[in-house]
Formats: sequence, C-alpha cells, structure tokens
Amino acid sequence: MNDPIFEVERLSLAYPERRGQRVAPILKDVSFTVERGHALTLVGPSGSGKSSLLRCLNRLEEPTAGTVHFDGRDIRALDPRRLRRGAALVMQTPVVFEGTVRDNLRVRPADVDGDLSEARLGQALADVGLEGELLERDAVTLSGGEKQRVTIARALLGDPRALLLDEPTSALDPPNAALVVETVSRLREARGLSIVAVTHQPELVRRLGGMLLYLVKGEMQAYERVGDLDVRLQAFLAGERAAGAGDAS
Amino acid sequence: MSAAVIDLSLPQLALALLLVAAVAIVSIRQALGLERDLLLGSIRTIVQLYGVGLILAAVFAAARWYWVGLILVVMTAVATHAAVSRLPKPIPGGYGIAAVALFVSTGVTLAYVIGAVVQVRPWYEPQYIIPIAGMILGSSMTSAALGGDRLQGELRVRAAEVETRLALGFSGREAMQPLVRSALRAAMIPVVNGMMTVGLVQLPGMMTGQILAGSSPLLAIRYQIVVVFMQAAATALASLFFVRLIASRYLTPAHQLRRYLL
Repeated sequence: MNDPIFEVERLSLAYPERRGQRVAPILKDVSFTVERGHALTLVGPSGSGKSSLLRCLNRLEEPTAGTVHFDGRDIRALDPRRLRRGAALVMQTPVVFEGTVRDNLRVRPADVDGDLSEARLGQALADVGLEGELLERDAVTLSGGEKQRVTIARALLGDPRALLLDEPTSALDPPNAALVVETVSRLREARGLSIVAVTHQPELVRRLGGMLLYLVKGEMQAYERVGDLDVRLQAFLAGERAAGAGDAS
Repeated sequence: MSAAVIDLSLPQLALALLLVAAVAIVSIRQALGLERDLLLGSIRTIVQLYGVGLILAAVFAAARWYWVGLILVVMTAVATHAAVSRLPKPIPGGYGIAAVALFVSTGVTLAYVIGAVVQVRPWYEPQYIIPIAGMILGSSMTSAALGGDRLQGELRVRAAEVETRLALGFSGREAMQPLVRSALRAAMIPVVNGMMTVGLVQLPGMMTGQILAGSSPLLAIRYQIVVVFMQAAATALASLFFVRLIASRYLTPAHQLRRYLL
C-alpha cells in the first residue's frame, strides 16, 4: 500500500510573538503519513498539541514550518474552502446553528451543490444512530451526545474523502460512545473514508486500526502500528481507560 | 438675531459656579468623597472650554480654509483615539482602521450636508462646518466604539461557531457575517431608537442652543431634522467600515481565524 491521503513532513506550529508574550511553540517537527482508507489516531496528554495538529491538516491553523500534502497536493496550493470540504473536521465541542436539525444538516456554502434530499438527510442521521424524526427538532434542544452526532452527520453530508475527528466520543455516555465508534469504523470500511482522530478511547483506537501517533508537548514520542503497540503505549491507553473511558479531560 | 441674546458677564459666570458649590456641599454632607474630582472637573470645564473658545474665535476671525482643515484633522484624531481606546482588546492596526472609518464616514456625510443640504458658501465657513463636523464625528465615534466592542464580545463567545463554518467550507467573510450583523445592529439601534423619541423627552442640545441664540423654533427644528438624519448616516457608515475592517483583521487570506488575537 502506498497511496497516501495525508503526508505531513517536519511540521511545526508556533503562535506569533506579541506584546509581552514570547513565541509559544505548539508542535515541533511532526512527520507522518495516512494511507487512503486507513486511520491514524492521535493520543497524548492534554495540551500536547493533538487538536492543533488536526487543525493544521485542514488549514484552520497555518504551520510555521514543514509541509502538508492532501491527496498528493501541497495544501497551500489548494483553495482552503475546497480542502476543508475534502477533509471534514468535527470539533470536540459540537456547534449547532440556530434552527432545526434539518437546517443544520443543510448548512453549506451557497456555491456548493450536492444531494440534500429528505431521504439522504434521513440516511445521514441513521448512519450516526439517530432517528429520522429528529429532523424537525430545534437543534439547541438536543443533548450533547445528539449534537455531537448531528455534527458528524453534517460533516459526512459534504462527501469528504477524509474525516478529522477531535475527541468524537468525549461528550457521549458509554452506549452512545460505542455507537459512534461503531459508526466511524463502519464508515471507514464501507466508504473507504480516511480518518484522523484525536481520542482517549482505547476502543476507538483498536476499532480504527491503522497507525497511532503519541504526542507529548508537541513532539512525537512514538509512531506505531496499532496492531503491535509497545508496552508504554499500551500502559498509556490502559491508564486512559482507568481514568474513565469516554471522559473528556 | 444676536441682538436678542443676553450677554453673560464674568460675575454672572461666577454666580453659575455657586451651583457647583451646592453639589460640593451635598458631597461633603453625604460623605461621597467627590469634592476633589468636583473641583478638578470645574477647573477643567472652565479651562478646556475657554481654550476651545479662544481657538474658535481666532479661526472664525481668520476664516481660512487651512485653519478650518487643521481643526477638522485634530478633531478626527481625537475621535480616532477615543474610538480605539474603547476597544476591550487592542488589535494590530486599530488606529489605522478607526482613522479610515471615521474619516470616510465623516467626510462623506459632511460633504453632503455642507454642499447639498445646507449649501454653505464658501464651504469652509467655520460657523457651520465646525459644529456640524463635531456632531457628525461624535456620532461616528460612538457608533464605531459600540460596534467594535460588540464584535469583540461576540468573537470571544462565538469563535467556535465561526471556525465550524470555516470547517464546512465557508469563506472567512461568510463565516464572520452573523457576528458582523449583530455588531452593526448594536451600533445602530441607539440612533434608530433616538429618532423615535427625539423632541418628546428632551429638546436636543443644538436646537436648544439655537433657540437660546434667538432663532425661531421652526428654523431650529429644521436644522435639528438635518442633524438627526446626518447623525444616522454617519453612524451607519462609521460602524459599517469600522466593524467590517476589524472583522477582516481577525481573518487571514486563507480563511483562517486568528485565534491568538482573541
């Protein structure tokens, strides 16, 4: 297999210097590859730069050094709006807009077309384990877990090639977390979707397979195949589970 | 007209100062601790207004376009500083943005009012252009400050919403638009509401002044109507430029939100 969807080379990120504040390094010399249709999970203590790394992949952050290639092209050569439709980001804290769930699923730039029929919206909800009648509901009245799944459905409706997930199960109780783990793994297999996920959930790491990147203070500590993780990473994941699986930290 | 005005002598002004003395007595008896500020405020009122009065008297007497121009530039600079210093969070290039917003909104409105509405000839007649410019700048400054304050407040609360739209493929401008709209409404609502009650609750200051100076109330209200409309226009223009330009400072050409500025 040698068909990368993401190729990241020596990526660094720092916030610019400002009055009274020194340059704050966030990521240092991070390199990895994500094969098409495969997964990469990002793990590490909080504040290690996992979310920032995810945000570099769809260019919500501008790396200070290094390159990111998406589908063979340097992302700086792509229109960021197209890149973000190709690599859809689901944020840790779900944001729903005013209006119904239907309105939320139909949110997209005016110049972008695509199938947003009732049948497809219903299917998108079913894919994340939600009932079709939820379409009528006012989105702000949803529970945290429902909002999270609506935002995943909204991302999938744009037909992305890659899905970037920032702790997709952190807002969910164990049964719903299991459901999202199941959904995401199934989508990867069924649609050949590439997935980069920040997660604390050993279950999600195992189900997604692929590679695992362990970050501490913005530096790569390990980059290994999920099938044969070394003792240290197994201990880290076990610790995460002991701290409460699916718990945001 | 001016023959109807009662001259105010210095002893008469001194009598007015007794009003402040009354305030000082209240402050002392109620232990408000405002005497010092009251004294300073009274001195500043006298010194600042006399200073402005002397400058205006000189400019009125000279009636040269460049002196009038200089006064307008100084007024705009002071208003720019006031609008920027009222931003809760400083932003790079804030002064330039405020200066552009106030210069354009005041320039356009002032040119229209002086040239087309009141038809002042020559255009730099200080008696007209300086007070009118002052009123326009005052409205521009207040609305710019209100709009900027609201936009920064919205950004702090709604940054994730903006980035969610960006992540869905919206342009920076589209992603920011709901916040810009709410900032513009906040900047313009006071003026629109003011138009509903103007003259019913309180007579506007300029109209009061004209009446005191001997103008007929009917002429005074015509001027006041022009003032209300020109303040509305200046408010809209200033907040539009200021809020839009500030919003653009928070975005990059690659449709990114500069989070480190929040």
